[in-house]
Amino acid sequence: QGASVAFGGIRQDTSKPVELSADALSVDQDNNTAVFTGNVVIGQGEMRLGAQQVRVVYNQDQSRIRRLEATGGVTLVSGPDAAEAERADYDIDSGVVVMSGNVLLTQGSNALTSDEMTVNLNTGAAQMQGRVKTILQQQE
Amino acid sequence: MSRRDRYYPRLIAWLRIALPIAALGLLSTLFLLSRDIDPTQSIPFSQGEIEERVREQRVTAPNFAGSTERGDFISLTASSAKLDPEDGDRFLAENLSAKIDLSGGASVEFNANQGEVNTSLQQARLIGGAVVTSSTGYRITTEELTTSLNVLNVTSTGPIQGTGPLGSFSAGRMQLESDSTSGHARLLFTNRVKLIYDPQNPGGKP
Repeated sequence: QGASVAFGGIRQDTSKPVELSADALSVDQDNNTAVFTGNVVIGQGEMRLGAQQVRVVYNQDQSRIRRLEATGGVTLVSGPDAAEAERADYDIDSGVVVMSGNVLLTQGSNALTSDEMTVNLNTGAAQMQGRVKTILQQQE
Repeated sequence: MSRRDRYYPRLIAWLRIALPIAALGLLSTLFLLSRDIDPTQSIPFSQGEIEERVREQRVTAPNFAGSTERGDFISLTASSAKLDPEDGDRFLAENLSAKIDLSGGASVEFNANQGEVNTSLQQARLIGGAVVTSSTGYRITTEELTTSLNVLNVTSTGPIQGTGPLGSFSAGRMQLESDSTSGHARLLFTNRVKLIYDPQNPGGKP
């Protein structure tokens, strides 16, 4: 079953420039694939996506980035909300981030976990799928 | 036959003779009056320049080629190179440029204002406004590059700026080497890599 939640609070404009910073970037000259490694942070507007490794996937004629595949302790922060997962795929053109693998979403005092979460940064809507559980902290 | 008819055949008869002779004349001017080239004329080198060239052992447009075990073909060219008086294995070069044809098919070119080629160390240094352009669409500028001549290993001594299919980026250091795991040639940027990808202007061209 799924649960839809609001994520990130404000609208996020995903046509804004994306800034990636990392310890290293390796560009394979034979198949032109690019991999960022080491404390990788993808920043766009309010959104920050951190991971240990991000692989860049191009579109057909290699003129645009189609997808960023982040793996290794991924954290997605946008506005007040934060989500953690093992992996996240960010499709820049559509502005959709698909997080998978032990997703933990913390919003203020409560937290939700699930197998997968799809976040549309443009609309701020998030859809959680697969064993969604809500953990309510008691207010002390 | 009217008067005009009588003249007509005579005119043709005259033309049949006059025209070939005129053609012959024209053709002969082609050979008789042409400019004669005097081979003994001296070639355009002043005496002073010849002595200087001998003293410095300066070579114009030298080129050097080598290859690595991996099968990358490295070639170096310069506008001019002269031997370093103190060190017999070292050449100082102007407008040094290097080209590496990678065994994987891609090619990378490096150019700089000056350079040094050290044959004993099998190494070349490109100094001053070094520019790297790769067939995979990357253009990187840095101050100085060092390239080995028998192994695929090009490193920048300092920070680099660049543009590529990914957008515009900067890093503390750049290295072209062969990736030990995949065996492919790769451009490795390290030391705080920062890249800006603009979805509206992906090529990162200003």
